Amino acid sequence: MSLGVELAAEIDACARGGPAPDFEPWALRIFRHQYERNPPYRAFCARRGATPSTVTRWQDVPAVPAAAFRHVDLACGTPEIVFRTSGTSGGPQARGRHLLPYPPLYRASALAAFERFVLPDGARLPCLFLLPPPEEKPDSSLVRMCAWVADAFGTSVEWFVGPGGLDTPRLVARLAALAASGEAALLAGPTAAFVRLFDTGRSFRLGPASRVVDTGGQKGLERPLSRAGFLRRCWTSLGIATYYCLNEYGMTELCSQRYDSALWDRFHGRSLDARRLIGPPWLRTRVLDPDTLGPVPPGTTGLLCHHDLANAGSVAVVLTEDLGRTVGEDGIDVLGRVAGAVPRGCGMLLAELT
Amino acid sequence: MQARELHGLLDDALRARERVRRRSPREIAAALAAAATRWSDDPTLTAELPAMTGLSPAMIAAAIPLAAEAIDCDAMVRLVERERGPAAAEDPGLVAHVLASNVPALALPAIALGCLAGAAVVVKSGHGDRVSGPAFQRALASVDPDLAATVVTAYWPGGERALDDVLLDRAQVVIATGRDSTLAAIAARAPGKVIGYGARVSVAALRDDAPAGALALDVVLHDQRGCLSPHAVYVAGNARAFAERLARVFNGVAAHLPPGRLTTEERATVRALRDEAEWEGARVLAGPGGTVIYDERPRFRPTCGLRTVRVHPLAALPDVLPPGRVECVGFWGLVPDTTALERLGVSRVCPVGRMQRPPLAWPRGQRVALGTLFGHRGPPRLLLER
Repeated sequence: MSLGVELAAEIDACARGGPAPDFEPWALRIFRHQYERNPPYRAFCARRGATPSTVTRWQDVPAVPAAAFRHVDLACGTPEIVFRTSGTSGGPQARGRHLLPYPPLYRASALAAFERFVLPDGARLPCLFLLPPPEEKPDSSLVRMCAWVADAFGTSVEWFVGPGGLDTPRLVARLAALAASGEAALLAGPTAAFVRLFDTGRSFRLGPASRVVDTGGQKGLERPLSRAGFLRRCWTSLGIATYYCLNEYGMTELCSQRYDSALWDRFHGRSLDARRLIGPPWLRTRVLDPDTLGPVPPGTTGLLCHHDLANAGSVAVVLTEDLGRTVGEDGIDVLGRVAGAVPRGCGMLLAELT
Repeated sequence: MQARELHGLLDDALRARERVRRRSPREIAAALAAAATRWSDDPTLTAELPAMTGLSPAMIAAAIPLAAEAIDCDAMVRLVERERGPAAAEDPGLVAHVLASNVPALALPAIALGCLAGAAVVVKSGHGDRVSGPAFQRALASVDPDLAATVVTAYWPGGERALDDVLLDRAQVVIATGRDSTLAAIAARAPGKVIGYGARVSVAALRDDAPAGALALDVVLHDQRGCLSPHAVYVAGNARAFAERLARVFNGVAAHLPPGRLTTEERATVRALRDEAEWEGARVLAGPGGTVIYDERPRFRPTCGLRTVRVHPLAALPDVLPPGRVECVGFWGLVPDTTALERLGVSRVCPVGRMQRPPLAWPRGQRVALGTLFGHRGPPRLLLER
């Protein structure tokens, strides 16, 4: 997939300080690529009268609803990896599938964004993942991403979820050892897994520059916990300051992710800016009116629609079942999920395993 | 309102009950029917219900007479004769109703049934309709002050535990409508007292030459929020053509019964439903009046409401419908198998076009409407209206 190789190279170069991929030319080129090679997507575009000759702006590339991933295979070629969304309540047929013909593009995007927003200080830390290891969950895009992160940026890696769920005693023992040594660590996993750790009542003071990356929000939680409450628990239970606690927003259907802006802002002299989810330059998010699919005014609630160039191997524009709003020039805030939408996501990943 | 004040109101209502206990059923029914007629003219309803319920003013204007017509004098007398049974030793002293407000005017049948049972009645309104109950009590007071004095209407926000406790402690019977989780929470606090009516939907089965306008009204009334609102339609003959006709009629109906204001989340829910259907291979017929999804697979999948309905080719309903989920089946041009439907938990079978006009005798959840207040359980029951 030469287009994927070329884009991955540009993303890698961007991560090393080079220019970002030029979004609109790439968006139109990828649209043509997907229109030609992805039959279900081509049929979908045809029903809307959209072809490479009629689409001249990136905003006009037709967005595929996330529901489509539950019903058809959307790939521009033979997939090398198939990721599946989590969530079991709707049965296996309710799980979405994201087929990746060219996984290195996902790797390039995921690592570049992770480094940019979670490790802007160049820290290299032991990785403690509140997740199952890749061999137990080969179809989880989050687990795969974390494995790549550990390979690229970690000094060691440990996985704390097994067939019996979160191995809390082992995790607590490891955290105690880390606290005793003063060594910093990177903890990542579903928000629900962190809450289970907090519920042990144990508290630690991990080394400076330790950080938490949580994902999945309220999904899988037995009781609601506000974001402020979560950050407070990170401080009281782990000794990790709020600006080192970063929420990740990702979807199985996307190869790029958004992250809490706190650390990025801190390293760029913008500590007073509102917390928001920011993404790499090859991921743009629009907030759309559910009826018209036109953009809503800034700050107004609507459906989140992601345009991810790193999705070149499947479909680049995904209309989610998430409600959100724009924050500032570059950020979004996720406000919730459409009522009745199929439960899915990383919080459900933990629920599946316990 | 404080718990002490509520206690006082209940004491007054119970004393008033003693004064009307010797009344004949016809006398009580006549007063209730007259009050319902008067209630339907109360300008408070049309002034306040649209904003409170989120339904359009035209919808409220259409819904008010439907609620009033069910409070029919002769029908109430027949209901008492049929369901009250031998007198009075087990009369419920105080009946409490904890109402949902997905549909307006649920207070009317609640108050009427309580009065017909010879009980004092306390109605806790839902947040979305805090006016129908007080308005009906005012109307009743104007035609029969003594009977009206047996009725307490109140509202307090969810979570006011002290007030809830007064209700649950003092009532002999608690009738609750709402979400299943709400009902479970209430039932746990008053074991053995609570009769709950949780979330259900309805369906229709008809021939392809059925009047689409009548079915559209069944869907559209109350913006499809109630348990009598059809979510799926099973069509004998050309189901696809019927779906197209229904979609056109939806748009016409919306012109005189416009939908209420939808939140962004609700609009997003409809969008998600349409998207899912399109990618499942169903045909989505969406317009300003609502959404019709033509799905060739005969199956049962409730929609999100909000004027969205699935149309399927007809199949044997017992093979398609799950037990305990369907309240009412509307039919047209077909002979319903009421025995099979009763086994599925269906409580009411009626012609299409009448689904939103339940009589007071509707055995909701297959429980006898009035007899339930006396503790009559009886066998499962289905009401067939022709």
